Amino acid sequence: MRRQWDVLAVISAGGVLGALARHAVSRAVPASPTGFPWGIFAVNATGCLLIGVLMALVAHVWPGRRLLRPFLGTGVLGGYTTFSAYTVDIVRLADAGAVAVAAAYLVGTLLVALPAVYGGMVVTRWLVRR
Amino acid sequence: MAGTTVNGLRLTILVGEGDRWRHRPMYTEIVHRAHAAGLAGASVLRGVEGFGTHSRIHTDRLLSLAEELPMMVVIVDAEERVRGFLPSLAELGLEGLVMLDPVEVVR
Amino acid sequence: MTVLLVALGAAVGAPLRYLVDRAVQARHDAVFPWGTLTVNVAGSFVLGLLTGGALAGAVPGSVTALLGTGFCGALTTYSTFGYETLKLVESGAFGQAFANVAVSVATGVAAAAAGYALAQPSFG
Repeated sequence: MRRQWDVLAVISAGGVLGALARHAVSRAVPASPTGFPWGIFAVNATGCLLIGVLMALVAHVWPGRRLLRPFLGTGVLGGYTTFSAYTVDIVRLADAGAVAVAAAYLVGTLLVALPAVYGGMVVTRWLVRR
Repeated sequence: MAGTTVNGLRLTILVGEGDRWRHRPMYTEIVHRAHAAGLAGASVLRGVEGFGTHSRIHTDRLLSLAEELPMMVVIVDAEERVRGFLPSLAELGLEGLVMLDPVEVVR
Repeated sequence: MTVLLVALGAAVGAPLRYLVDRAVQARHDAVFPWGTLTVNVAGSFVLGLLTGGALAGAVPGSVTALLGTGFCGALTTYSTFGYETLKLVESGAFGQAFANVAVSVATGVAAAAAGYALAQPSFG
């Protein structure tokens, strides 16, 4: 448990910042009962892009900063993005009869967010090495 | 290989990515000390996975385990110069492995 | 007020994700991201319960803000799920990467549906 408390503290603080940013986005783009959840879709896609950027920066530009990865990666981006709202919105949409929207949301988020991690990482590595 | 070789000593030091010496990374401090001591050269290499004396796995594959990744400092010079550097290294109170092995350097 | 409840839930949810992830991963050989899967499925179930309960009129908005948006939102993560999937792809473990995506989505949606269904009769 050596040096454990400061790591937990920065994760907690980062998680609060990330969750408030997500809350602000979902307030600005409210979900409708049968509409595509654009707010959380955008949150998860941008959060995935940013974790790619962050992990490349931590590896190539800022190595050895002990609290940076816990604060920004586990805390801010972990708190900003969410898996539970993604799965529950799929269930909610399907329950409301919007099965096609639910399916498009399920697949669409995977097809945008997962390549976004890779894109963020590759572009950042390329920029760093120029 | 047509080149001739000279004998030397290789100093390899394993530290944690987050190890600090007075607010600067430990590996940076080692490189600065090696440079100040006039050694032939020093390189720092980043590790992506491993475990140490606490038996906890560190790996950059899992975000929650991506702390304290291993860093390796490699220094090669003539034996007496490397051995002369060891007292300066001892002041740092390193927790990781510090290894010496004889090498042949190809010229 | 809502903002404070979201912040409070997240202040607990994010470090709990880290602790659960490390505890789960310590029991496995750190190849497959079981820890992130665990928090994502558990959070999906709890948010399913809350959402189903809210639709049945049994969960007030303040509880949804605290436990749903704040706690479950911060306990679960898409960015870590994405990052760890990418690391499996980069290391050539395509089968494990595909399995991580398939199992995370299938069990996450199933857990959310179970919570959602469970909440409606029990609250209504």
